Amino acid sequence: MLKKTLSVLLPALLLATAYAYVNDALSFAHEAANPYVKKGFSVREDAWGGDLGVKDQQAVTAQLFKGNEYWFCLGTEVKNAVVTLHIYDSQGKLAETESWQKGRLAGALVVPQKTGTYYAIITVDKSPQERTGWAVVYAYK
Amino acid sequence: MTKNIPLILAAICLGAFHSESALSAPESIDLSKFPAAEVDNVVVPVPSEVFSVLDKLGTPNWRAELRSSLGKNSGNRAQVALLLGTVIAEGFIAVEAEDSEKVKDIGKEVLVLAEAINVRKAVIARSKSITEKAEAKNWRSVRTEFDGALQDVRAAMEELGDDELAQLVSIGGWLRGTQVLTSIVSKNYSADGAELLYQPQLLDYFTKRLDGLKNTRLGKDELVVKIRKTLAGIRPLIGKDDGAKIPAENVDRINKMTSEVIAAITSKEA
Repeated sequence: MLKKTLSVLLPALLLATAYAYVNDALSFAHEAANPYVKKGFSVREDAWGGDLGVKDQQAVTAQLFKGNEYWFCLGTEVKNAVVTLHIYDSQGKLAETESWQKGRLAGALVVPQKTGTYYAIITVDKSPQERTGWAVVYAYK
Repeated sequence: MTKNIPLILAAICLGAFHSESALSAPESIDLSKFPAAEVDNVVVPVPSEVFSVLDKLGTPNWRAELRSSLGKNSGNRAQVALLLGTVIAEGFIAVEAEDSEKVKDIGKEVLVLAEAINVRKAVIARSKSITEKAEAKNWRSVRTEFDGALQDVRAAMEELGDDELAQLVSIGGWLRGTQVLTSIVSKNYSADGAELLYQPQLLDYFTKRLDGLKNTRLGKDELVVKIRKTLAGIRPLIGKDDGAKIPAENVDRINKMTSEVIAAITSKEA
């Protein structure tokens, strides 16, 4: 009986934990995006999130439109972690015009030369934890 | 010496920037090394991302793009989800038109449709906020609220296990946004305006989602079948490469296709 209950509860608990750290990471991603709101950018309510091991990378896909400017902002809830974010076009060429990295926060500015698909590459460079939760938001104007 | 101060300061600033700048990024990467499942995770743009470019390209008559009727609820859950998506997209158009009365009507309609698919609770606060911010003519905040309403509805539906229906909300919004985009570009064609239609990954993403519906009843729904055909029809018209010129006739054809499917979504016979 206990085994059966655990088999139901454990995945639910793991899922809840995963959501919790993505949610925490999301608040840091929003913190990274805050300065751009003052510059007239609108931050999207939708976001990407997940968790990665040290030196692992993940790509997320974004449809960007020529004529807009975009700031992509990454955050993690893990103190002393170092995360980076860079934007590439559909040919795999670096597309950002500016980027920064400050510990658990990172950002990259893209002014698309063409309308199309772009990829944000997220990397956990350093982390005191085995898995590091991350979230990315973007802002446009 | 004082002459050198600006140079020294600039050097210090540059040094400070570098210490905080991003760890060096390779000039190019091999995207094929990333698993398909990872790059498949697409955030669907909201209509205002496209509309903001149209505003920079010209002076669209947003009021003329607004629909007089927001459509009818047939009671069919797939239709209601699609309709809700189109109504939220209409909210973004009303914001561009700076029509506070229309925005308030749309905010109320979002609530009515959300109730029909059991997610009313998730959007009560958003609906109230849309009304307040429309009265204050705080358009940027109204845009954020419509974006938030879209995410809240989808999240609430996913929580109820209606993930597949939640996808239809996004697709409905995208179809209405594309109908308006093509309507504006058709009236005053420009290559830059037409280029906004180049959204291959997004079209493939929607197609994949609709092709992979596990709920067979939903997969066979007349509207879903029609949308699948529409997406397949649009795909070859948007060009093959980034920056490829999309001719005026393709814009017109996409407008016709999206107008037909929007008419089907908003009619009570759905």
